[in-house]
Amino acid sequence: MNERRVRYLLVGFSVASWWAARSIREEDAEGQILAVSEDGELYSRPLITYALGRRIPGPAYWGDVVRDVTVLWGRKAVALEAKDQVVHLDSGERIAFDRALIATGSVPIVPPVEGKDLEGVFTFTKSRDLLQVERFLARYPVEEVLILGGGFIGLKTCEAFLGRGFRVTLVELAPRLLPAMLDVEGSGYLERALKRVGVRVITENTVASFVDRGGRLFGARLQSGEFLRADMAILAVGVRPNIDWLSSSGLLLGRGIVVDEHQETSVRGIFAAGDVAETRHFISGKRTVVAIWPEAVRQGKVAGKNMAGKEVRYPGSLPLNVIEIGGVSLVSCGVVNPPDDAFEVLSREEESRYRKFVILDGRLVGFVLVGDVEKAGLFVHLIRERFPLYSLKDKLLDERFGLVALPAEYRKYLVQGAGVEA
Amino acid sequence: MRIRIHEEFCIGCRLCEIMCVVRHSQSGKILKAFREEHPRPLPKVRVEEEGYTSFALQCRHCEEAPCIENCMTGAMHREEGVVLCDEEKCVGCLMCVMSCPFGVIRRGSGRKVVSKCDLCGGKGVPFCVEYCPNEALTYE
Repeated sequence: MNERRVRYLLVGFSVASWWAARSIREEDAEGQILAVSEDGELYSRPLITYALGRRIPGPAYWGDVVRDVTVLWGRKAVALEAKDQVVHLDSGERIAFDRALIATGSVPIVPPVEGKDLEGVFTFTKSRDLLQVERFLARYPVEEVLILGGGFIGLKTCEAFLGRGFRVTLVELAPRLLPAMLDVEGSGYLERALKRVGVRVITENTVASFVDRGGRLFGARLQSGEFLRADMAILAVGVRPNIDWLSSSGLLLGRGIVVDEHQETSVRGIFAAGDVAETRHFISGKRTVVAIWPEAVRQGKVAGKNMAGKEVRYPGSLPLNVIEIGGVSLVSCGVVNPPDDAFEVLSREEESRYRKFVILDGRLVGFVLVGDVEKAGLFVHLIRERFPLYSLKDKLLDERFGLVALPAEYRKYLVQGAGVEA
Repeated sequence: MRIRIHEEFCIGCRLCEIMCVVRHSQSGKILKAFREEHPRPLPKVRVEEEGYTSFALQCRHCEEAPCIENCMTGAMHREEGVVLCDEEKCVGCLMCVMSCPFGVIRRGSGRKVVSKCDLCGGKGVPFCVEYCPNEALTYE
């Protein structure tokens, strides 16, 4: 039996693992780090839509990634024996570890629609998908693209296809787009922006079956009975944590891998971070999977520190998303659809701009910005710091809101933070 | 070395913004920069004003910089302590804008998000500091 033993094992080698490796190295310069990756090379997952849109040549990641990590490329972990601290690979290899990070990300949800396996129907989450889509586009004449799902991936893909001049139809089951990320008003701005750039938006409907001609996609029959012509379709109804391979591992699983505030799973020595991890929501404290880049970074950093023996706590996951369609930027963060009357809402709607702030117990807990988004980071900061607003509340809707609005002492403290050392 | 902000001394004249544009223009000359160069570079330092308070604010070049961590291309990076954005690699995803607690990263011309302070190349005293008439910005 082919077995090796390492100090640190990273299962999956994308953003959460990169930052975990860096954190480990900050605490432990010696311990061997081994990573296993299904991919063939290092790349940045969210860049595939930008590569599809021809904004960049490919999804390469140019940032610093710790160099002394040994990566087994093109290998897949197929099982974990948590108690015995062993991972099995598809190659038959067994890897024993002292500490492991599970960062296997998410997988696309494929709806059980008739014809989903036809040539011309794709999911779009990995570089492999980008290659297949590009190959299809090079081989066949494509004019009409159908995107099933008005969530984040659906809209990023829509942005990319628009950039290349395809006609796009977006089909969403919910009554509005990005229902989890935006409020009703925000979705309205998004839908109007999409229509302005020529996207056909169909809500409260879905694909009943994909229809082929000569084995290749020709169109889709919608639930309403309408037939839509389509040369290509993208299934973008959502993603779910990639945990199927862990069903008999012994780890406590919910929607994702359940972790504590150290990003440690139910089994000591085994950690999880990124899209696969089920953490707590920064505001509500409820268990949640927030599958976004910034939280993958934060979770990876926390996991790495704790794996190397330095106790660091994760403050919770804060949803933060930005989308840009037809020159309109939309940002959402935290709680944007308050569940009850305990939350206070301030908002201002204009023709091309929208601001909404959600406040709980005198603190900002969420916001939506449409149009003018340059100060978004400052609002995110106020949420993360649980900054007591007091009179600041009256200034939030002012478009000139900036650092100057904060109390002088706090502002001075903030701008003097650790900076460039010569 | 870093830029320190002394808001008590800021008179809100915005000379820092103007000289920042000049420094990052093609010609380096104020008349040409404002009259002939299009698109004119955005000032990377901006004066915030409210009532009698004003101060010039630019990138703080944070030691633990969330804009670098959240950059999905690696365009945002650090060179000898200075946080810089590589325009060739930037896709304009706006994640750095979302991450900056100071709100000092702006969308530049085109769809790129690169308009941020580069400490004038890290060589010598930055223009915003050098031309501040009242030492409301210092480089130390």
